[in-house]
Amino acid sequence: MPITKAVITAAGRHQRTLPLQTLTDRDGAEKSVLGILVEEALSAGIEEIAVIVAPGDEGPYAAVVGDHAGRLHFIPQMEPRGYGHAIYCAKDFVGAASFLHLVGDHLYVSADTRSCAQQLVAIAEAENCAVSAVQATRESLLPYYGAVGGKRVPGRKDLYEIDTVIEKPTPTEAELRLIVPGLRAGHYLCFFGMHVLTPTVMEILESRIGTAANQHVTLSDALAVLATREKYLALEERALRYDVGVKYGLLNAQLALALSGNDREEILARLVELLATRELRRNA
Amino acid sequence: MSSRLIDIITAGDPAVRNRSLDAFCRTASLTELLDECAALEAFRRASDNLYERVRALFFLYAIHRFHLPPLLSPKEGETPEGLIPYDGYTHLLQRRFEEAIDCFLAVQRAHGPGDSISSALAEAYHRLGFQTLADQVRRSVRSVRGNQWMFRTGHPADHPLRVRRELLQRSAEGLFPVLHEATPVRMDLSHSGWSDIFFLGMDFPEGARVLNVSIDLAVHGRDPAPRPPVEAYLRVIDEPLLRLVSVDLGTVAEITNLAEVFDYARDYLGLLKAAIIAAGIIPPGMEGSGEHLQDLLARLVPSSFSPPAGGTGGGYGLELVSQVNGIPKGSRLAVSTSLLACLIAVCMRATGQTQALTGMLQEHERRLVAARAILGEWLAGSGGGWQDSGGVWPGMKLITGQLAGPDDPEYGISRGRLLPGHHIMGYDEVPVATREHLQNSLVLVHGGMAQDVGPILEMVTEKYLLRSEAEWLGRQKAMRIYDEIVELLRQGNVRGIGDATMRNFFDPIQTIIPWANNLYTTTVIDRVRAAFGDDFWGFWMLGGMSGGGMGFIFDPFRRAEAQERLHTIMLATKRELENALPFAMEPVVYDFAINEQGTVAELRTAAEALMSPGYYTLMVPALLKRERYTLTPARRAELDRFGAACRTAPALSGMMQTLFDRIIPRTDRVDSSQRDLDALLDELGFDHIQHEQIRADLRSGRIGLAQNRLPASTVIEDVYPGDVVNGELCMMDHELRTTDDGLRALREGRVAVVTLAAGVGSRWTHGAGVVKALNPFCQLGGKHRSFIEVHLAKSRRVGRAVGMPIPHIITTSYLTHEPVRDFLARCDNYGYTGPLYLSPGRAVGLRLIPMTRDLRFAWEEMPQQLLDEQAQKVRESLHAALISWAQQMGEGSDYRDNLPQQCLHPVGHWFEIPNLLKNGVLARLLEERPQLEVLMLHNIDTVGVDVDATLLGSHLDSGATMTVEVITRRLEDRGGGLARVDGHLRLIEGLALPQEEAEFKLTYYNSNTMWISIDKLLDLFDLTRADLHDAAKIDAAVRAVAARMPTYITLKDVKKRWGHGQEDVFPVAQFEKLWGDMTALPGMDCRYVVVPRLRGQQLKEPAQLDGWLRDGSAAYVEGLCTWDKG
Repeated sequence: MPITKAVITAAGRHQRTLPLQTLTDRDGAEKSVLGILVEEALSAGIEEIAVIVAPGDEGPYAAVVGDHAGRLHFIPQMEPRGYGHAIYCAKDFVGAASFLHLVGDHLYVSADTRSCAQQLVAIAEAENCAVSAVQATRESLLPYYGAVGGKRVPGRKDLYEIDTVIEKPTPTEAELRLIVPGLRAGHYLCFFGMHVLTPTVMEILESRIGTAANQHVTLSDALAVLATREKYLALEERALRYDVGVKYGLLNAQLALALSGNDREEILARLVELLATRELRRNA
Repeated sequence: MSSRLIDIITAGDPAVRNRSLDAFCRTASLTELLDECAALEAFRRASDNLYERVRALFFLYAIHRFHLPPLLSPKEGETPEGLIPYDGYTHLLQRRFEEAIDCFLAVQRAHGPGDSISSALAEAYHRLGFQTLADQVRRSVRSVRGNQWMFRTGHPADHPLRVRRELLQRSAEGLFPVLHEATPVRMDLSHSGWSDIFFLGMDFPEGARVLNVSIDLAVHGRDPAPRPPVEAYLRVIDEPLLRLVSVDLGTVAEITNLAEVFDYARDYLGLLKAAIIAAGIIPPGMEGSGEHLQDLLARLVPSSFSPPAGGTGGGYGLELVSQVNGIPKGSRLAVSTSLLACLIAVCMRATGQTQALTGMLQEHERRLVAARAILGEWLAGSGGGWQDSGGVWPGMKLITGQLAGPDDPEYGISRGRLLPGHHIMGYDEVPVATREHLQNSLVLVHGGMAQDVGPILEMVTEKYLLRSEAEWLGRQKAMRIYDEIVELLRQGNVRGIGDATMRNFFDPIQTIIPWANNLYTTTVIDRVRAAFGDDFWGFWMLGGMSGGGMGFIFDPFRRAEAQERLHTIMLATKRELENALPFAMEPVVYDFAINEQGTVAELRTAAEALMSPGYYTLMVPALLKRERYTLTPARRAELDRFGAACRTAPALSGMMQTLFDRIIPRTDRVDSSQRDLDALLDELGFDHIQHEQIRADLRSGRIGLAQNRLPASTVIEDVYPGDVVNGELCMMDHELRTTDDGLRALREGRVAVVTLAAGVGSRWTHGAGVVKALNPFCQLGGKHRSFIEVHLAKSRRVGRAVGMPIPHIITTSYLTHEPVRDFLARCDNYGYTGPLYLSPGRAVGLRLIPMTRDLRFAWEEMPQQLLDEQAQKVRESLHAALISWAQQMGEGSDYRDNLPQQCLHPVGHWFEIPNLLKNGVLARLLEERPQLEVLMLHNIDTVGVDVDATLLGSHLDSGATMTVEVITRRLEDRGGGLARVDGHLRLIEGLALPQEEAEFKLTYYNSNTMWISIDKLLDLFDLTRADLHDAAKIDAAVRAVAARMPTYITLKDVKKRWGHGQEDVFPVAQFEKLWGDMTALPGMDCRYVVVPRLRGQQLKEPAQLDGWLRDGSAAYVEGLCTWDKG
């Protein structure tokens, strides 16, 4: 089951300009956030990408992806009904195929030569099921993420079979329902912002959107149902992700890219110089 | 080493494992017992298994407490060896139990086994056993999933909870929504032998079963209809603080620092604080972190959700309000645990820890609330059973212990899980008709007594671990009755249930714990039975013991009548017994209804976003006193809304009048009680001049706790050989000559008994002001008997045996005189036909607010028993609060803030003998019995003492002025003893000892029983029999001797009752002179005789009773008594 389609959600009403921001990528080239995400998807063998946008954002977004514009389909989300609804907007685009999904306000920095998306797609193709990238996260950060519970797939250190999904759980709920053997105390598997989803997810989203008129629909709710219907795995990522939507998020992401790219030495030298100059002045 | 007891403990076969220790010990020799002790000691140190260790500890305790002492009587010519080492005692106080045991065992090895050292070992093993169990429960509570994270969260930045958005949606007026939780309480329909004690459930889950029903309550005749008895309210406030309000206790605290949240005993808000912590709002891991509450609140209630309006600028906080709807304390319906669970539930809902903000909870959420309630109880230093949060669940449910499985944290440690399983009984199991039938048959009451059930729960645990034969059979029987009750409920047979609960109370419950019953309960049951005959279907004990919450089951057609009648019966019985038993309140009858929902929440928004009327009654007067501009915008909006609601809402129709009465109270109750007190002082001939002198001395530091002590240079030594006579041997051998002399004196009527009964036994009822002498403390000869009845029964036996009634004098004081007089009149002197006199006290003191110097001395300088970690924190916090109370009230000023009787105090038993001279009782007795020579003086609680012919003869033969009976010391015998003080043999009070450790050098303890030769004593006062009618001469003589007696300052606990059965205990200062100091008087020819423990021991605390019953002491006393047949 080759995976050839991807869906990037970027329709958040308060974050419309984030994908347009320009950063210097690991190869030293200047790219937009959206451009970097598109390249991440393409590295995994994706051929066509749908970007879910707020109405009217299609033009500016197309302008910042350069040569990749031809592979992109912009789909407007006409009313802000939540994350799950945004993905559902790509239903016709994905059809009956599984697809890669990325969120538009995160950047991923892989720890090895293969990109995060590449690893995720490879697992999904091999296992022929939905897979979410997850990361062990401290319980104090639970209010920010969806989290999963399950058990390790025998013989794999980084793969879990998911049986429970809860959006932004309290640690109380997490301790009761999301304990995963082998994780450190107080750590839970939280979503990484990258998934390979099957068409069943679209079916579940459709039914939820139908029953919850005018209400927000979360992806986690749909994934919780997915876990009860079919095989659904979690791949524990060793990569790092950066939320560019938070305070200093862009700066942080830029530093991370630079420190893992070609210009690492130069950036390190500049940082040391910056610190030394500042401290010397303060002490002078 | 082979050991039969270890075989019992480790047996896999329940038939062997459940064998009783007593059965083995009954036939074992001293050597066998000592060998078993050595084996058990080695075994408990080596075993990894918690319950094997605990059971071995309890076996060791019981052998040293009950089975070794009878085999350790001293032989002729032997002096007791092996004093209790002070080091071991301090280890015990500091909860270093292992070290204490090592220390005591070293003495046992060096000096051989002895009664004293066994008493110390028994105590150490007992405490270590309970400590081990408590530690295990604490670990289990922490390891319950859903609770663990709270212990890891130690910094505000890590706080993972957020207040739900719904609570931040302000109305147009600026009001925050109010989240309201209402919770029923639980009643236990089965009472399966206290099987809901955690330790039992965790060791014997098969036997831990209860039938638990959630109910709403109303006080009959006061409230319109039953409603959930406990409520909690929570809302966001526009101030960065935590406001805690207890409506029923009338207390408010605005907390701005974290440390105060963990200060449980600072005010009456300990339960709310425990709830805030156990719900994770302020996780327990934050204790001692030094972080700021504001930072934590900013994280919990982020202002980005809803920026503060009106410029308070400091962020948001939370307000948590508790309200108990007039249900008195001690109802045995787990009101306080239900309230804690209710508060925890509302806090968990508010922070998204439950799925639904409103409505009922899901099963896993209810279980978590229950687990958090256990945590909260541990934090606040209290504790109940695992069924106590049953009100969180709806309707009727079976709660049963669960075997621990591989996924449970308890697995491999205890057989059972900490948390039980709940099975809610649906309408298919118990139809609506049966539920209605039960409601129409049952009359729930609060009998008015409030008692401490803590010791009872310890006894149950201990007896279970020892598998004491009768109690273990009782437990099996209680389990069968449980099955029977469940089956009867399914059949709808309420009459059968009444019969079963009644059998349960009179058979297994009292077999396991005789103290569950008392004279009040028995009397009420008898009277109800007499009034209703066959229509009274059964009695049913609620909770730990009877006297408080109780149930009476009637034929439904007489229920309404029974409610009224029962109230009358309880009131009348209380009137008769209120001086003999501790009552906290007037009895009440409840209306109740089964609550089929469990705990439920609703969100009050917009115009409805108000708290309860009680909240505004408490809060509004203070708010009105403040300038409006100093109130926050939300407060101003709330007051406007409240004002509008008062004008329109029917529920608030009487609010204006209520508020007016609160702002301008109708009467000044304090003034009227002050007038009563002054009148009483005048009536009792209170000596104002002496009082002012004592007050001045106390304030200036001339007298005080530290000044009670003799100078540090005083040499305190134990007795020398020959200082004491071994009366034990005299009595055993019945030395012919002395016995004959004694019998002759008895036959000739030359002896009388003086029973000291002027005090109220502060330790017996923890300051409740009950007359100890009248307390029906135990069932002897098939009936509850008071201390006075026991003493009269002993004199009756001796009198009949010698053919001459023995005159009995009972000394009384202002506190005890009228109750004792009336009681004796009512029961016709318990049928005592000999001369019986009351000797009313002629001295009274007015209690004083203690000096903080003395409080600190008592709590910080004197060795204190360290409590379990959390309980110790609570105690320290309480001590700080009491020191600040003393400062606020004015150190050394008169204590007047209580009922007049509670402000006065008797001035020590020294005065009671001179009173016999002053009030003419001795003169009258001598007129009646001119041949009278000797008085046997004893404490009211020395129940084993009688007019023994041998001891009397021995006293007469000696020619001494006074013979003092002493006993060998056990660990619990504290408060001085017989010593050589600077070479002079005398009794010394514990509070006069220059150093605490000096007491541990003293072999003998004062039993306070004394044989006094009347003429020689008069001589000491410089009086003769002829002077006994000369009041002036007597006064002068008494004053002269009194001046030579030391005055001690002591701290006593006094209870102040308020609200619905609430009690506060305050330490107050008072002074006293003690008769034992007469032994130091030059010219007093005094001798000391060692008597058996069974004769000389005193009953100071009700917690001693169970051991007293089990170690043969009660049977000994019973053997001395001849009861009145009437």
